[in-house]
Amino acid sequence: MTNTPSEDQVSARLLAFIRERFLSGDPRGELEETTPLLEWGILNSLNTATLIGYLREEFGAVVALEKVDATTFRNVATITSMLCEAAAKPSG
Amino acid sequence: MSSLHQLMIESAARDPDALAVTGPDGEFRYGELDRQANALAGELAAHGVGHGDRVVIWTPKSAAAIVAMQAVLRLGAAYVPASAATPAGRLAAMARDCGAGAICAAAELFALIPDGLPAGAQRVNVTEFLGAGHGEPERVDHPVTPDDLAYILYTSGSTGTPKGVCISHGNARAFVDWAGAELAATPMDRFASHAPFTFDLSVLDLYAAFAARAAVCLIPADLAYAPSRLVEFLHQQRISVWYSVPSALMLMMRDGGLLDRLAPASLRAVLFAGEPCPIRYVRWLSGWTWARLLNLYGPTETNVCTYHEVCPADLERDRPVPIGKPCSGDKAWAARPDGGLARPGEEGELMVDGPTVMRGYWGQRPQVGPYATGDIVRVLTDGSYDYVGRNDRMVKVRGHRVELGEVEDVLNAHADIAQAVALTVGEGLETRLVAVVARSPGSDPGVLALKRHSAQRLPAYMIPDEIRFVAELPRTASGKVDHLTLANDVARTAPEEKAP
Repeated sequence: MTNTPSEDQVSARLLAFIRERFLSGDPRGELEETTPLLEWGILNSLNTATLIGYLREEFGAVVALEKVDATTFRNVATITSMLCEAAAKPSG
Repeated sequence: MSSLHQLMIESAARDPDALAVTGPDGEFRYGELDRQANALAGELAAHGVGHGDRVVIWTPKSAAAIVAMQAVLRLGAAYVPASAATPAGRLAAMARDCGAGAICAAAELFALIPDGLPAGAQRVNVTEFLGAGHGEPERVDHPVTPDDLAYILYTSGSTGTPKGVCISHGNARAFVDWAGAELAATPMDRFASHAPFTFDLSVLDLYAAFAARAAVCLIPADLAYAPSRLVEFLHQQRISVWYSVPSALMLMMRDGGLLDRLAPASLRAVLFAGEPCPIRYVRWLSGWTWARLLNLYGPTETNVCTYHEVCPADLERDRPVPIGKPCSGDKAWAARPDGGLARPGEEGELMVDGPTVMRGYWGQRPQVGPYATGDIVRVLTDGSYDYVGRNDRMVKVRGHRVELGEVEDVLNAHADIAQAVALTVGEGLETRLVAVVARSPGSDPGVLALKRHSAQRLPAYMIPDEIRFVAELPRTASGKVDHLTLANDVARTAPEEKAP
């Protein structure tokens, strides 16, 4: 792939999506890369499903369900790492 | 009548090699579950648990949780299920409310057992205990009466504190025996278990399966709203009886490609309950599968007390299918506001009386006589009932009961909040829980701070999906919050759902 986004770009897009969709725009700018998403109730069952759909559409990342756990989806940083690791692996 | 746990004991005696449970922790045959339940019952007895006690079970959705439930029942005690997602604070509140004598926790939760449990409450690490192996333990089968409690389910309470719904062996068996007969369940069946064990829908999956020597296939919590994985699960596990809230089925149809594949040949019944299912989804389901489609109805307090089997005429309706006629040996009728009996065409509050009606809420007066459901129904010409709505402020969010007052109480306890009002917008799967918040003078709490505050005190499904700040809440002439105006304001300015 030639257009693989950098880790910073991935993280910024994830933050923007979560702010817009789940945090009413996050007017105070509270969301950070390390904010616990599951623990603080930002990702509930439905939001997680929405986020997985977004990852597929936006990053072409098909998230295996065994990856959807408290470790991988802990915060934006861990989701970013997962996406970037997957992109680094040769496809096929 | 025999006890609730007798169902598994008898099945294990008849065919110990039959598959009983598939779960994230493996496959278990009846004989093995039976042995493990006896072993764990012995261990709990050694910790002082006995007839009439309450035991909290804090585990992810797993076979280990089922072993723990069976062990508790065999001692004549009642189990109080909690899920891995239950916050520690709520867990402690439940344990204190029912005076739990012990808490059985999975290994990963054991270290998180909070302080503030009732004095003398014992702690048992179920995972560790079951992993140790116990040869051929002694059989445990303490005699119980139909009035002895089998389990307590904590629900959202109208006073703002969770209430423990006490279900006896007699209550549970009246429902389970009806369901098994209605479904004509056999050892060939494979039941999907979608609902968390804290939710009364799970009772059918587990015990109707155990009664029939069938297998129950557990859907782990993190799969429960993953549309394509649920569809995969249905096919791979060759499910014959599916039971869930309509939200899950709707998600499978809308986002999981359920209807793009042929229905699995194994599937012979699809049951849904917990909230009205929009009719177009019922039409799609009925065009997709030959399986029977059953709408079940009943608050936790009554188990399932009415049901309706979808028939071709229903598909012409422009509203959800009826909740139907009484079942499980119950009587049901609709009471008009003036107390009279509602006749066909009239509306009234659904009243339920009979063997499935709970013994009462823990710590409160026993339930005597009919239970007033708080649900308004319309009487149809054939004597069945159509669900109209709630007569109070209890709402359903993705099948979960949410008392709006309880959400408000938690938010109002935050120092930076002057007053919070919770409400829902949207219908069915799109239902969103919204909190409208007026800040305390001079304070400026953020959305995240309030989410975090809620997450520490409420189960995940009760955390507001959206938090909005307003300078002042609209009020009626009498000074009360004007809920109607507020609901209209929120609905009008709801963010448009965009495709991601």
